[in-house]
Amino acid sequence: MFTLRRWWDRHRIQTVLAGLSLGAAVFLRQTQGAVLYETYQLLARPFQPNLERKSALENARFQELQERLTELESQNQQLRSLLGYVSENKRSGITTPVVGRSADHWWQQLILGRGQKDGVKDGAIVMAPGGVVGRVISVTPRTSRVLLLSDPSSRVGATVSRSRYMGYIRGKSSNRVVMEFFDKVPDVRQGDVITTSSLSQLFPAGLPVGRVESVNLNKSPAPEAVIELTAPVSFLEWAVIYPHAQSSLSRSSPPADRESESQP
Amino acid sequence: MKTESLIATLQDRPIARIAVNSAVTAASVLLCLLVSPTRLLGMELAGIGPNWLLIWVVAWSVKRTAFHGALAGLTLGLIQDGMTAHEPTHTLSLMLVGILTARLRKERYLREDFISVALIAFGMAVIAETVTAIQYSFQGDRSLVEIWTYHQLIALGSAVLSSMWAPIVYFPLKHWWQQMSALEQQT
Repeated sequence: MFTLRRWWDRHRIQTVLAGLSLGAAVFLRQTQGAVLYETYQLLARPFQPNLERKSALENARFQELQERLTELESQNQQLRSLLGYVSENKRSGITTPVVGRSADHWWQQLILGRGQKDGVKDGAIVMAPGGVVGRVISVTPRTSRVLLLSDPSSRVGATVSRSRYMGYIRGKSSNRVVMEFFDKVPDVRQGDVITTSSLSQLFPAGLPVGRVESVNLNKSPAPEAVIELTAPVSFLEWAVIYPHAQSSLSRSSPPADRESESQP
Repeated sequence: MKTESLIATLQDRPIARIAVNSAVTAASVLLCLLVSPTRLLGMELAGIGPNWLLIWVVAWSVKRTAFHGALAGLTLGLIQDGMTAHEPTHTLSLMLVGILTARLRKERYLREDFISVALIAFGMAVIAETVTAIQYSFQGDRSLVEIWTYHQLIALGSAVLSSMWAPIVYFPLKHWWQQMSALEQQT
């Protein structure tokens, strides 16, 4: 008892301080560092780009439009034979500056300067000049965190816009993603446009993703293609957030093994 | 003149000294946390920046016990988990960094502080990224080839940058903590 008290007298302050800091750390962990990101956004605001479209990004924008055109042409041919096509309403997006990147190197994430207060919700789609870049995974009042397509844990259903062959893409930690096909011999060539597929639950169908850079049909267990993302993921300055409710249609027959996304 | 009176006040009041010391330490941690998501010019190599939290843990542990190092690693690891993702956890790598840095008998090998801190930060960054890579390997949702190819890039990039920027965090903190412990000795 006496030794305990003597220990306590000597180490009281240290113990209290250590307890306080550990408590604060656990709090920050449980709240996903919301306080930190809010402070970060507050401090970073003066340095944020004023959302002007830079000439460097215009080329990517042009490519995005071209890809959308290819996608629409292909879709149009299919739809001619179908009746009762209901077009999806165009929704307006929230333009936001990119204020930061992932706080470590293993995750490919973006910090955006808009949050709950601006109407951003979990699961919203993030587009950039050039195409889709990722999905919102956590929101604080004024910031939101985006898991990029190029993160290895991000898996999204995709389709070859010309031949409609399907597969899924997973990140390769740069501005490249790898597409694995479901078919053994897919019709895919270098330069083909890849878009998100209608099987995707996390993304609406038909968003441009990128172009095929190289194809490896001999890869086992499934043929693979390396896709170059059209959006300049490594030097994004601004992005547009579109709200996305996960469709109930795909929930009836979920291709669970085909598209999964491990959420942090 | 002003600083002298400040020092005198701190000397007289141990509670104030502890409060100021903790506040400065916490502020330095906050600064490291807030710099982590940025990729400023000159602080970036192929999209990889310095590991600021690791630098802070190294700076903290260099002249402290292994237990203190582990505690700092645990605290900062938990915070970094919150800022990125809970799995794989950053606590393991940062705790290991804290313990190893504290156990390192660097006086035996190197006299120069500047070089030694940079070297320690270099080595510790490699160790920390390796620990994370091992965790990913056990998790098993990525292929091993992918993990370890990426590990090479991250470990080297983060080690080079961390060792370059380590003195910026280390020297002010070392100076401050030395001053504080000197005041403590006097009372």
